[in-house]
Amino acid sequence: MLEFDGLRKSYGANQVLDDVGFAVRPGSMFGFCGSNGAGKTTTMRIAMGLVIPDAGEVRWQGRPLDQQTRRRVGYMPEERGLYPKMKVGEQITYFARLHGLDAAAAARASAEWVERLGLGARRGDAVEKLSLGNQQRVQLAAALVSRPEVLILDEPFSGLDPVGVDSLAEALLGQVRTGVPVVFSSHQLDLVERLCDSVGILARGRMVATGTVEELRRREAGRLLRVVVPDAAPGWAAALPGARVVSEQAGDTLLELADGADDQAVLAAALRTGRVAHFAWREPSLVELFRGAVAAPSTDEEVAA
Amino acid sequence: MSAPNSTGRAPGSSELVRLVAGREISTRLRDKNFLVGLGVTILLLVGLMAFQIATASGGDEGRLGIVGDSSALGPAVQAQGEAVGIDVTVVELDDEDAARAAVEAEDVDGALLATGSAPELLVLDRDSTMEAVVNAAVAGVAVTEQLAEAGVELTAVPEVEVTALSGEDDAAEQEQVLVAIIGVVLLYGLLIMFGQFIAQGVVEEKSSRVVELLLATMRPWQLLAGKIIGLGVLGLAQIVIIGVISVAGALAFDLVAVPGDLVGTVISVVLWFVLGYAFYAAIFAMAASLVSRQEDLGSVLTPMILLLVVGFFIGLQAASEPAGTMAVVTSYVPGLSPLVMPVRQAAGEVAVWEIAVAVVIMIVAIVAAVRLGGRIYAGALLRTSGKTKLREALRAERG
Repeated sequence: MLEFDGLRKSYGANQVLDDVGFAVRPGSMFGFCGSNGAGKTTTMRIAMGLVIPDAGEVRWQGRPLDQQTRRRVGYMPEERGLYPKMKVGEQITYFARLHGLDAAAAARASAEWVERLGLGARRGDAVEKLSLGNQQRVQLAAALVSRPEVLILDEPFSGLDPVGVDSLAEALLGQVRTGVPVVFSSHQLDLVERLCDSVGILARGRMVATGTVEELRRREAGRLLRVVVPDAAPGWAAALPGARVVSEQAGDTLLELADGADDQAVLAAALRTGRVAHFAWREPSLVELFRGAVAAPSTDEEVAA
Repeated sequence: MSAPNSTGRAPGSSELVRLVAGREISTRLRDKNFLVGLGVTILLLVGLMAFQIATASGGDEGRLGIVGDSSALGPAVQAQGEAVGIDVTVVELDDEDAARAAVEAEDVDGALLATGSAPELLVLDRDSTMEAVVNAAVAGVAVTEQLAEAGVELTAVPEVEVTALSGEDDAAEQEQVLVAIIGVVLLYGLLIMFGQFIAQGVVEEKSSRVVELLLATMRPWQLLAGKIIGLGVLGLAQIVIIGVISVAGALAFDLVAVPGDLVGTVISVVLWFVLGYAFYAAIFAMAASLVSRQEDLGSVLTPMILLLVVGFFIGLQAASEPAGTMAVVTSYVPGLSPLVMPVRQAAGEVAVWEIAVAVVIMIVAIVAAVRLGGRIYAGALLRTSGKTKLREALRAERG
């Protein structure tokens, strides 16, 4: 298990992280969401030892991460960083060596990753001569070249075109299949929803929701009911017991049902207005979950992972 | 892909430092600007020596052919030549044709036809020194002959004896001071150059943000140590190469009077380079870590460069006045001492204990600079936006 436990950090009076914690199983992908400035980067930097937390720790296999164990972590910082004038192959070899590979193994691993990420032809070029997409691949190679046991990636998908996104996603899923826990942060929630086994939502330095996408959905599901009744008069659902109208537009009605309210009573009422075109519990998208979690400062319901 | 494993061992401090140093060296060795700079320095040095040889030997030797009686003229020409520093060899030639041929073949620098009453000098190009020597010799011989004919008895002309008030080995000392000045110029150039290399390297890592990736695998001090040691090895190699070439050249072409002193001066310059480099590398790295863009580098480096410039000029001034208060005081000031003390040492005005004190002060300053610089460097490295204030960096070490 990769565990983030009780992380706290403040810069002066500004509390950036307040008791942030979640766990990632080996061989699973964890999507880390949150609005800008929520504290995602700080959390990841704490894991990499770049920021010292005021409290809490990050553990891998039950032991706190330290300088020695961190070399088994592949890291991609939010601000991409490579030596601009260094050649692609040499650069990746260098990072492999910093992670403890000997010269021969590092050269081999570098050649392998350069080839795998389709950079074979650019191996002898300086990084600054590469396109941004290719630079991103070099960055990924630098994170993967040491065969890390853990991957921590800060916004790995930002700035990639759809093809790049797909190939990066494929590479990450490949890592997950070999048993590596992968944590990545992203604003692209559809991507998180598609790739991740579990999700954490960070808002204002606090974890407002963690769990699998399914768990989060279930928490929200059973509350929103969408009924489309084209022939109904406006306000048809206003008097229904236990139901609150969230929105209503030309018969397309979104209702929030209180606990214990009878959905069949709602259906009966809908049928009384005429034809019912649609009647279903609403599956909230991650975007809606995210909005709901981030928007209201009072939603402090934390779901244990 | 196999299951994740822990390939290799955890790299220790020394290994990380070595890796960083190795990268610095291989990067610089493939940097064309660096290589061109090194080549130009060596060329300049060789050129300087060639110039020395040329100017020293240009009037050194001369061959003069004489047609006719050379028994009186020969020694006279040689004596005149000696007076102006030319070692004249006299060659006897048979006749005017032989003289012309010898001059044209550049076998002799000139040929004097002393057969008739009006002596004639044949030269390829007009050469005032040669003319003066020959003229004086001919005139001298003529006067002596005429006086002899007139019956005047000549006593030997008294020779003027020269006493140097400032000591006998003045020339040798001057030579050593000259070597020390060249050494200080080199030291100054190399300190500025390698200081800039360090500073640019630090900012490059900050501006390209690669520093975050590096610090995920090593501590700031390991990165800093690797940089300083890597570039230091290069700088040392460079100054040693230059030193060896100069000493070898000076000895081979016999440019110095006392080779032992030359070697001593070169060694002291090299040792002072090591101390000066360690000090300036630490403070240049510290200053550079405060900014995130190459464009901002100038403003933070200015004070350090000014310090070097001041040291440089005091060093030059110390050459003419090695015992002056200015030179004596500054030869103890850390940062200035590497540029002033070698000159004082070369001028022979310092006791061993003075050098020892200056070295100890310098080492204390280096330790302080490395510690403080390392702390600031560590605190400022990850602040990649704009300029970091000194106090902030000190407080924020790995915050």
